[in-house]
Amino acid sequence: MAYVIAAPCIDHLDQACVTVCPVDCISHDPAADRKAYIDPDACIECGACESACPQGAIMLDSRLPGAWAAFAEIDRGWWIDPEWARAAVDAVDAQVA
Amino acid sequence: MVVEIAPRTFADGPRTFADGPRGVRRAPDLADNAVLVARDLLSPTVARLVVRPDAGIAPFVAGQYLALGVRVDDRIVQRPYSTASDPAHADAHEFLVRHVPDGALTPHLWTLPVGSRVRLGPPKGAFTLVGDDQRTHLFVATGTGLAPFLAMLRTLARRPHPPRTILVHGAARTEDLVCRDEIASLAAGGLPMTYVPTISRPDDPANRAWKGRTGRAEAVLGSVLRSAELPPDSLSAYLCGNPGMVAAAEIALLAHGVAPADIHAERYWTAAGTTA
Repeated sequence: MAYVIAAPCIDHLDQACVTVCPVDCISHDPAADRKAYIDPDACIECGACESACPQGAIMLDSRLPGAWAAFAEIDRGWWIDPEWARAAVDAVDAQVA
Repeated sequence: MVVEIAPRTFADGPRTFADGPRGVRRAPDLADNAVLVARDLLSPTVARLVVRPDAGIAPFVAGQYLALGVRVDDRIVQRPYSTASDPAHADAHEFLVRHVPDGALTPHLWTLPVGSRVRLGPPKGAFTLVGDDQRTHLFVATGTGLAPFLAMLRTLARRPHPPRTILVHGAARTEDLVCRDEIASLAAGGLPMTYVPTISRPDDPANRAWKGRTGRAEAVLGSVLRSAELPPDSLSAYLCGNPGMVAAAEIALLAHGVAPADIHAERYWTAAGTTA
């Protein structure tokens, strides 16, 4: 399991999560990304990010509502293929909106 | 929900969401940046690790934590630990680490040769002393949750007029009531302190010689509040350790009449699937 950053982060990017993450496993490219991404292989599931997020965008992957289920794969995918993750964010955002 | 990316051309050609990401996973930029300079076994299951950052000590405040990590199979495994060091005098960070036999990190920390390279993150966390509060400081810890309080007590001991302090430290076994000599030396050095160690498993054969208090830290807290004759608005409480203890101690303090703003808590995380 790992925490995942879902749709409410899109175009907000508050970054409180980045500040509190004890293991620095949250990142994004400010020039290209609309949201931040959690590295699921580094996340230690402490929950500090979930408490800190003012948007309520962060939750355990097992608790993601169906409409946001894709964000688990998107967060994992960003660390492999950021371009794919950004396209997926655009697609999910368009479908959820 | 099926996400569809309508025909879209990526750098390597048209793809859809279902095709998944392509490439090699990027490793986070987490270089080894510190040295393990000492490891002292304080009990069979608790060690004090001393770690010195290559670049010197970044400014920190008593009560903060840092991520300590080691390279395992070419990947960094890290966990956050509160530093016990005094911010004013530290040239290294002291961590109290409990050994978790099937943990992802601590078995490595136990066998890592002194002098090994490790990864240390930046100091983080808001579990710190509040201003120049002169009211009684009540610290309640379980196990290695003592670490941030050592840093805080060392900080308070440097003040010209330190406040009265009460330290309740709970552990399952006598041997895990670590750092008693240092606590005694802080008290002997002039810090007004009442030290209340307690053992939660008095029937354990390992505790046969224990003559002190018994019971969980949160249970002992009630009698401490009564015997110390502490009006609710005369204290500032700091809780650190097992999340169950923290929750129960918060309830006890609120029942005593302590304002929520005067209760500060740091939970040592026990998320499912993650072991230290």
